[in-house]
Amino acid sequence: MSKNVLIIVFTEMRDKLRKWREDNHRNSEQIVDVGEELINEHASKLGDDIWIIYEQVMIAALDCSRDDLAWTCLQELKRQFPGSQRVKRLAGMRLEALEKYEDASKQYDSILQDDPTNTAARKRKISILKAQGKSAEAIRELNEYLEQFVGDQEAWHELSELYINEHDYGKAAFCLEELMMTNPHNHLYCEQYAEVKYTQGGLENLELSRKYFAQALKLNNRNMRALFGLYMSASHIAASPKVNATVKKANVKYATWATNQINRAYQVSYARCLL
Amino acid sequence: MAEPELLLDSNIRLWVVLPIVFITFLVGVIRHYVSILLQSDKKLTLEQVSDSQVLIRSRILRENGKYIPKQSFLMRKFYFNNQEDGFLKNTKRKVVPPSPMTDPSMLTDMMKGNVTNVLPMILIGGWINWTFSGFVTTKVPFPLTLRFKPMLQQGIELLSLDASWVSSASWYFLNVFGLRSMYSLILGQDNGADQSRIMQEQMSGAAMAMPADTNKAFKAEWEALELTDHQWALENIEEELMSRELDLDGMFSQELPTGIF
Repeated sequence: MSKNVLIIVFTEMRDKLRKWREDNHRNSEQIVDVGEELINEHASKLGDDIWIIYEQVMIAALDCSRDDLAWTCLQELKRQFPGSQRVKRLAGMRLEALEKYEDASKQYDSILQDDPTNTAARKRKISILKAQGKSAEAIRELNEYLEQFVGDQEAWHELSELYINEHDYGKAAFCLEELMMTNPHNHLYCEQYAEVKYTQGGLENLELSRKYFAQALKLNNRNMRALFGLYMSASHIAASPKVNATVKKANVKYATWATNQINRAYQVSYARCLL
Repeated sequence: MAEPELLLDSNIRLWVVLPIVFITFLVGVIRHYVSILLQSDKKLTLEQVSDSQVLIRSRILRENGKYIPKQSFLMRKFYFNNQEDGFLKNTKRKVVPPSPMTDPSMLTDMMKGNVTNVLPMILIGGWINWTFSGFVTTKVPFPLTLRFKPMLQQGIELLSLDASWVSSASWYFLNVFGLRSMYSLILGQDNGADQSRIMQEQMSGAAMAMPADTNKAFKAEWEALELTDHQWALENIEEELMSRELDLDGMFSQELPTGIF
């Protein structure tokens, strides 16, 4: 009876890890808890799954500063896959976590020598620059990387973040446009683009931001940030002295509509609290 | 006018027709796995990867350009198609048609292709011809002319027999081509047991040289992008959005469903 319970728990843990892996969750503490127990207690039952679980747990362990666990995972992977570039990248990540940036950089360079098309190593080198705070260099390297690999969406998003931190909103908007084109149904990119445009300021940008807040709302009716953004941009335009009467009227109408929706949302949340 | 109907021994069905189907199918599956084992790693150069991604980006620009502002669309279109320094217009890649003589890896690939596909077919066809010879296996449902007799009735020396009655060797070849759809059902698309696809590839192999393709692909993409116009999808977005109240169902619950997808 107790053995049955143990088996059920084991499959549940393995499936949870797989779900987190596929959805790309970054809940490192949970992964370390579940993964460590799986590795220590149920290693034999996992079969070939164990290698990808080692990788997943190792990255989570690096996030949680669990060097011991990361080291054991790395040793197991090195033993099973000697000379693998994927394992080399993991070794480099561990050096990065220990802040040995020079050694990590050398590790990634050796990967790139064998295989110049390896994107993972190049991206890790850029993250080293980011970790060291050299954002100007990181931006430059990332631009060069994107010139070669125009389709890497993760990289475009990272570049937009770096530009926002440098307050270069025009270029950040360009990156977000790339993302919007490749993912036209993702309301979050529309909303982020609208926020960047709003921050840039100026009448044209405000109009654009209002339109993209509306698009984000159309894609996801429950995006409260976009709703507030719509209200802010519409009222900003209406309050600006440079607009003519028709535009002002239209924007006031938009702002009132947004206010009504916000009130409705608050009522819904109030009703839920009462339940 | 009715031809004399031949009644075949039902043992033929049991011991010839079905075994040949089995053999063909199993050989096909084995061929698929052997081709996977013998597959050589295709090393792509940085340039090829980069070019393929640029083509994808240009295509996305054409298809989804209506979601970004007009100015941004024009900026990107200019970058790609500009007369003086547009990327698609001016980038010429070195074209090296990979003929079997100059490119050793192509040669080995061709050899492997031949060994895994043509050789087993010939061997097994011959073995079946030798084992299951001397009798009629089946009848094809459409009438054939006498020209087909020596081909399809290998071991049978009957001059008066209808050409529709065929021997086991022809039943084998029928199977080889017929089981193609079974293979895609069981092994998934793009499997190594697909005979006719491989033969098609061999015929068009010379024309499929990748480097030449890049230049042509760039040109095709340039033309397509020239024709594309920008129809902004957000033109009347506010009116569309505000025509009805927002759907706030399920808001503030624990499991937040996300948007459309």
